[in-house]
Amino acid sequence: MRKILLVVILGLGVAAASSLSRYSNPVAADSSQTTAVFDSDGKMKLPVGYRRWVFIGAPLTPNALNNGKANFPEYHHVYVEQKNLDAYLKTGAFPEGTVIVKELTRVLNPAFPDGSRSEPSGRGYFNGEYNGMDVTVKDSKRFAATNGWGFFNFGHHPLPYAESAKEASAAECAGCHMSFVAKTDMTWVQFYPILRDGDKTK
Amino acid sequence: MAYLVRSAIVILLIAATVVSPQSGDKGPVFTNDGSLVLPSGFRSWVFIGGPITPNGLNDGGAPFPEFHSVYIERENLRYYQKNGKFPEGTVLVKELSLAQVGKHPDGSLDSASGRGYFPSTLNGLDVMVKDSKRYSKTNDWGFFTFGHHAEPYEPAAKESSQCAYCHIANVANTDMVWVRYYPLLKSKID
Repeated sequence: MRKILLVVILGLGVAAASSLSRYSNPVAADSSQTTAVFDSDGKMKLPVGYRRWVFIGAPLTPNALNNGKANFPEYHHVYVEQKNLDAYLKTGAFPEGTVIVKELTRVLNPAFPDGSRSEPSGRGYFNGEYNGMDVTVKDSKRFAATNGWGFFNFGHHPLPYAESAKEASAAECAGCHMSFVAKTDMTWVQFYPILRDGDKTK
Repeated sequence: MAYLVRSAIVILLIAATVVSPQSGDKGPVFTNDGSLVLPSGFRSWVFIGGPITPNGLNDGGAPFPEFHSVYIERENLRYYQKNGKFPEGTVLVKELSLAQVGKHPDGSLDSASGRGYFPSTLNGLDVMVKDSKRYSKTNDWGFFTFGHHAEPYEPAAKESSQCAYCHIANVANTDMVWVRYYPLLKSKID
């Protein structure tokens, strides 16, 4: 009897600790959230503050594995605002006005023919300098012709990026998204663990 | 029986105190035995870089498989950019994710955007905490691993003795952090 009670008491303690821990480190409200800004020509202004948005994943297409010239050289860091991520996780679709930023970085000093290098943590790829930005914006009226999303390229080169960008043609961006990921709101959710599996830490 | 009731009260009180943050709402949380409680909310912190050490380039078993997504709280990033060192209480989180398995011998995958590596499932969490009193023996940083496996991660982790050595040997001059892999640490941009 005593043993059982002790187990129950210990269990209660652990349960209390784990339930409290959920509330012990609340995330501060993010005051940097913005939506897309367009000028009178319909050009989109370079987003700001996006490195403080939620990072959702970083595909890597090294130049050295793509005949020396990847279409998106080389790391793709992808960010979305918290409110839009939360809405996606709840509904499976991004809300109107969602902005998704993909910032590129080069890889750090390639040493092997495949572009990788050896570091104490192993052989692989490490971030080099920032190298450009692509953005998608969901606006079902403005971009009705391309499944509700507009695509913008602020240059694939080191900082500073272009201050504004006109909508990219369907051949440049939207066509590929429409061919491959029209069913998942035009986004490659299969490459982003949080979008695919949810955020279990919250 | 009275003894058991007293025990229950004591244990519940301990449980309540061990999860209290040290200062305000931020910073590391320790249990009474010095274990670090699994950080929460870190995916809303600032991402500073994502090295990848694919299993396919590391004899099938990378020590940190495979993507390393590193996060820091914004105020600690700002402090580092200004002062060249991290403030007391800084927590750095490295979350691992596996890469999708492609047909190439190096494990890379052919995708519409090119050949390369693409994140698959989340695969573990390593954390370092700066506390010059608690971790004076290891250049002021404590190291913790919450497992290298899919979620759920361990709820708490003891200080690991396996990590500090490599950081001391290689990056003691940059506050024990591999600054050279993280563009945001190397520059002062926002």
